[in-house]
Amino acid sequence: MRSRPRSLLIYLFATLAPAISLSPVARLQAAPQQAPAKAASTPAPKRDLSGVWQYQGSGGADSMVPDKDMPPMTPWAKARFDTAKPGYGPRGAPGGNDPILQCDPIGFPRIMFMPTPFEFVPTQNRVLQFFEREHAWRPIWLDGRSIPEDADPTWFGYAVGHWEGDDTLVVETRGLNDRTWLGPTGFPHSEEMRVTERYKRVDHDTIQYNITVSDPTAYSQPIVVPQKIMKLKPHEEIEEQPCVWSQENAFAKRIREPAAQKPAK
Amino acid sequence: MRRFQWRRLQPVGFVMPRRKVLATNPHRLKPAPRPSRSHAILFEFIRVCALAALLALSFNPLLVTSQKQSASKAAQESATAPKRDLSGLWHYESTGASEPIAPDNLIPPMTPWAQAKFATEKPGYGPRRAPGGNDPILQCDPMGFPRVMFLNTPFEFVQVEGRVIQFFEREHEYRTIWTDGRSLPKDADPTWYGYAIGHWEGDDTFFVESAGFRENTWLGSSGYPHSENMRITERYRRVDHDTILYDITVTDPTAYTQAIVGPHRIMKLRSHDELIEEICVPSEEKSFGERIAMPATPKSSK
Repeated sequence: MRSRPRSLLIYLFATLAPAISLSPVARLQAAPQQAPAKAASTPAPKRDLSGVWQYQGSGGADSMVPDKDMPPMTPWAKARFDTAKPGYGPRGAPGGNDPILQCDPIGFPRIMFMPTPFEFVPTQNRVLQFFEREHAWRPIWLDGRSIPEDADPTWFGYAVGHWEGDDTLVVETRGLNDRTWLGPTGFPHSEEMRVTERYKRVDHDTIQYNITVSDPTAYSQPIVVPQKIMKLKPHEEIEEQPCVWSQENAFAKRIREPAAQKPAK
Repeated sequence: MRRFQWRRLQPVGFVMPRRKVLATNPHRLKPAPRPSRSHAILFEFIRVCALAALLALSFNPLLVTSQKQSASKAAQESATAPKRDLSGLWHYESTGASEPIAPDNLIPPMTPWAQAKFATEKPGYGPRRAPGGNDPILQCDPMGFPRVMFLNTPFEFVQVEGRVIQFFEREHEYRTIWTDGRSLPKDADPTWYGYAIGHWEGDDTFFVESAGFRENTWLGSSGYPHSENMRITERYRRVDHDTILYDITVTDPTAYTQAIVGPHRIMKLRSHDELIEEICVPSEEKSFGERIAMPATPKSSK
């Protein structure tokens, strides 16, 4: 406290520093309450879905539609459905054979209805979609190409997209192998399945998501999923969460199998 | 491909088709008077020379030998490596199989902790292989980083604002290399592929630093372990349009008494390829092990 300028500086620092340091904290803390009102009026960027998004579902693993709303199955699909033993839910059985219980990839479109977020990262010729679940990802090609007629069937398929206007990304996916379930209750699909999605960014923080699944080999009509909502999660980054069979196996033996309920009738 | 047919220099062969047209359609205009024979030859000669000059100018590269062609192409490639850009599909020119981070004789001495771990590892193949090997990738545990770098399957760099994403075809995996100026977190959760940051040194070298690795992965197919304290630095130097010179150094005092310095590795651009989806599926791996790998593994190893 020798000279006046120095003490003045200390005085200024002592009064301003808390204000400066607290204001971002105050803003962040207030953000969740302020964000909805503010975001609704914030216009959506054009042709841009970048960011981390969270499907607003039940908080657990959802079916795309309730079981009772699924269209009738073909005999082929019904036979498959009968062999499926979900690990949980109303048809849950001990020793369930849901492929994800042994870390088979969850596949598309089942991954869209999980309670973990995904991120869109646009690049020059594609939009990358990163899922937190299983550390999975897929490219959605925007360079005008068509889906190859002979695309090898894969777990996440082959996807191409284009913009309708400035706010809706339309994505077509084919080339999906038939080893995945459509949801946790065991509905099957064939390799002929085609999926069409519309991601419509209605405002800065909201996507309206519509998805239709067509698979005449398995279902007599397309499955038109009622609109879902996805919300932007700013300041978040996708975590690395691969499904590791050796860990999953240990968990199943110690916890899941002893706890599995008898099937409800 | 023959570009000159001497027979065409003969005016008689050139004019005859017109006569046939006239014969079939008498209402067409009569052709212009035929030039005299000497004029015809002169005109033909001039026409041929002009054609030859045009061909010489436009098709010259086709006449160059294949060696000259590749040399000029290589010169062109080495002169046009883009600045601060590693985008594309790259392929490590390895021995063809998966390999360890460095040959055995370049691995520094292990600490007692690492030595004990090393002794419990039973690789699935290679000189120390044993039946019922416990290489974690045999049951589709993630291969992790840096082991995924030393394979014969490609990877792809995609550069966007704030990060470079490195996709590996093997296991359909990826890692994000943050280029937004952040530092490595002091307490990063250990993950299979680590936490990476990067920046450019000059216009041709991308420097990457990573930490935060789970200790469950091996440094290569022969089983060298590492701890969660492992830190890695890499340099990707784009020496020409189609070539990266790759260097990696692993520092892990918990496991090795000195840094492991990998040998120089060459990576080549594969311009017209795209990654395919290749996921390690435990149920398939298990089936393969039971049906093929285990029966083929010799009972005694050296």
